[in-house]
Amino acid sequence: MSEILDAATAIQLSPALVVKSLVKTFSRQGRAVQALDDFNLTVHEGEFVAIVGPSGCGKSTFLHMLGGFEPSNGGTIELDAKPITGPGPDRGMLFQDYALYPWRTVYGNIIWPLEVQHVPKAERAAIVERFMSLVGLTHFRDHYPAELSGGMKQRVALARVLAFDPKILLMDEPFGALDAQNRELMQEELSRIWDRTRKTVIFVTHDIDEAIYLADRVIVFTARPGRIKQDVKIELPRPRGPDIRKSPEYTQYRNLIWDLLREEVMRAREEYN
Amino acid sequence: MANQTVGHKALDLIRRTYSIFVVLAAWEIVSHSGWVSPRLTPGIEKIAVEFWGLVTSGDLLFHGRITLQRAFIGFGLAIFGGIALGTLMARIRWFDILFEPLFSFGYPVPKISLYPVFIFVFGFGDLSKIMLIFLECLYPITVHTYYGMKSAERVLVWASRNMGANSQQLFWRVLVPSAAPTIFSGLRIAVPVALIVTIITEIIGESKGLGYIVSFSAAQFEYGRSLAAMFSIGVVGFVIDRLLIALRKHIIFWQKDSMPIV
Amino acid sequence: MPVRLIGLIPPLALVIIWELCGQYHMLPRYLVPPSLIVSTTWRMLLSGELIGHIGASMFRIAMGFLIGSICGTAAGLISGSVRPVERFYEPLISLTYPVPKTAALPIIFAWFGLGDAAKIVAITLSIFYPCYIAAYYGAKSVAGIHIWSARNMGATRLQIFFRIVLPSALPQIFNGLRIAIGLSFIVMVTSELIAAQKGLGYLVGAAEDNMRFDIMWVAVVTIGIIGFCADRILLMIRSRVLMGQLLGKDQAHG
Repeated sequence: MSEILDAATAIQLSPALVVKSLVKTFSRQGRAVQALDDFNLTVHEGEFVAIVGPSGCGKSTFLHMLGGFEPSNGGTIELDAKPITGPGPDRGMLFQDYALYPWRTVYGNIIWPLEVQHVPKAERAAIVERFMSLVGLTHFRDHYPAELSGGMKQRVALARVLAFDPKILLMDEPFGALDAQNRELMQEELSRIWDRTRKTVIFVTHDIDEAIYLADRVIVFTARPGRIKQDVKIELPRPRGPDIRKSPEYTQYRNLIWDLLREEVMRAREEYN
Repeated sequence: MANQTVGHKALDLIRRTYSIFVVLAAWEIVSHSGWVSPRLTPGIEKIAVEFWGLVTSGDLLFHGRITLQRAFIGFGLAIFGGIALGTLMARIRWFDILFEPLFSFGYPVPKISLYPVFIFVFGFGDLSKIMLIFLECLYPITVHTYYGMKSAERVLVWASRNMGANSQQLFWRVLVPSAAPTIFSGLRIAVPVALIVTIITEIIGESKGLGYIVSFSAAQFEYGRSLAAMFSIGVVGFVIDRLLIALRKHIIFWQKDSMPIV
Repeated sequence: MPVRLIGLIPPLALVIIWELCGQYHMLPRYLVPPSLIVSTTWRMLLSGELIGHIGASMFRIAMGFLIGSICGTAAGLISGSVRPVERFYEPLISLTYPVPKTAALPIIFAWFGLGDAAKIVAITLSIFYPCYIAAYYGAKSVAGIHIWSARNMGATRLQIFFRIVLPSALPQIFNGLRIAIGLSFIVMVTSELIAAQKGLGYLVGAAEDNMRFDIMWVAVVTIGIIGFCADRILLMIRSRVLMGQLLGKDQAHG
């Protein structure tokens, strides 16, 4: 018994992602804008971390830097003790506008990363089938993205990102373009899938409910320049069903994070006016 | 019931095409009214007879083949050259720096006035015409390819790089398909240009081709034949345009709406 | 950006090589060295000869462009917003649009004579189509929500046409005008090559016939410069007029 527990805590405690004193400046119309300033974060393996913050606080920029799409102006990002220098398949990215290839079917989109990574042909079909059924889209295999609803598109993108088995998932407001009902359903679906895969996830959102419902930790960003205002541990039991949204603990978390966020939003507003 | 739908369909067809008949009827009336010289504005029946004459004498086939050959060779060369140049400019920085000004500054310059020069350089025959067609078509195709390749959606590129795609995969599987619609608009602009230039060069100085029949017949006051030849040029243009639209639907199937070229 | 200036190297190098070859008499007769083109241009400018040809060509282009673009754009806008008009125009346009209108040049000369009228008609006819099509699709693609909100505020049909449809169609209309300007130069040069007493296209043809290649090049270069300037002026007007609508969008080609 204790052996199992030890193993579990050992896995829990090995840091997967280490960010040290990260700096990011933009130049916007000749003016230097500080997006991130001396930013530090450690994420452990198998953790689901949500990032919330006022708009323009640099949370999306941070995620793009993790993805290797944008360079930093100082500091380091290490994944499994190796520094990140550019985009790579060890970090799977889920975009808000899906980034599905309109000329490929559902099947074609999910198999694409396997083609890119030269996964043996014999194995590809089985992998695609597995993830298509995991997101419940087996019947839509031959549909083109234009024929799918927003929620279905994001499920295809999720299956695609899981198919190439990255070490860590980066999600950039993946459900931001969905309507309220689809959003909740997708959150439940993601929670269910995460329970089965237990990937490390960094999830950027502006929706507090989404963050609490999904994450083990909610990181609240300050207004620009982005720093960690507070790191809130969400100790709700898993697996989390839809009823958990009605529990008193949930409401407490919600109030706490909303208060933290409100301060920052007000501060950002004063600064801009 | 069945009758009613047939009636509906007929009515719909009339509603969608009546203006063509209005214009044709107007032409007939003007031609027979005596207000204009019937020689200058022959009736449709006369044009039809002349057209049939062109068909049966084999003239249409002979000259039409020459016209199409020139147009297609010039256009084909421009497709290869334009797509290659546009791609290189979009992908290789020094290529971009060297050639982009040549295309952005040269685009609005009327190249037709170079035709006399081309005649001296490439001779009076096919080559000078083909080269002018090539030059005129090269510009829209190159520029559209360039912009199509440059403006591939950022997330699509990011997503592929995220999966570890190498630059070759990125090019063939992402950039080429996402540039395809733009390249096609370039082709659709270039097709009428190819025909226009072919006909112009045949009108100005030549003894073969459909454009030559138009100008030669007009010079001999055979306006009926001239109009008949014009009509056949129109048919060629129309058919090519429809073929291109069909091809586009087939190749770029994921984009349902086919926007106009302008 | 100084890096961009590197792009000037190939054309400059070409001109220099051209000139050097000319100095050492290594050019065929029809390729006149640039220095001679410049000096001939200067002479023809001083004598007023060149101005006369430019004036003749510009008059035809201006008239043809004005008539053709106004008629084409107006017809396209109305057709795009009034159903019965659309039903009349659409079959005619879609049938005759892909037909190269330059094929009609000999007939137009027969009908309208060899003077300015025929050339203006030829230009008008050629550019009617791109203007019509651009304006038609521009009017068709007006966002329904804009029209609804205007109706909701009690706007009349005319108000909706001039205040909503016309401005929303403007970006498309300018695309059409840009194609039209290029076309009108092609038609101008061609029609003047075929039959004219004056004008830049005539100058190219006549100089060629008389083996005065220096004059031919003067005309060719002048046509190029004027065509280029006309396009840039249109682009300038466009960016002025479309200030709000172009914000945040990539500039179009060029």
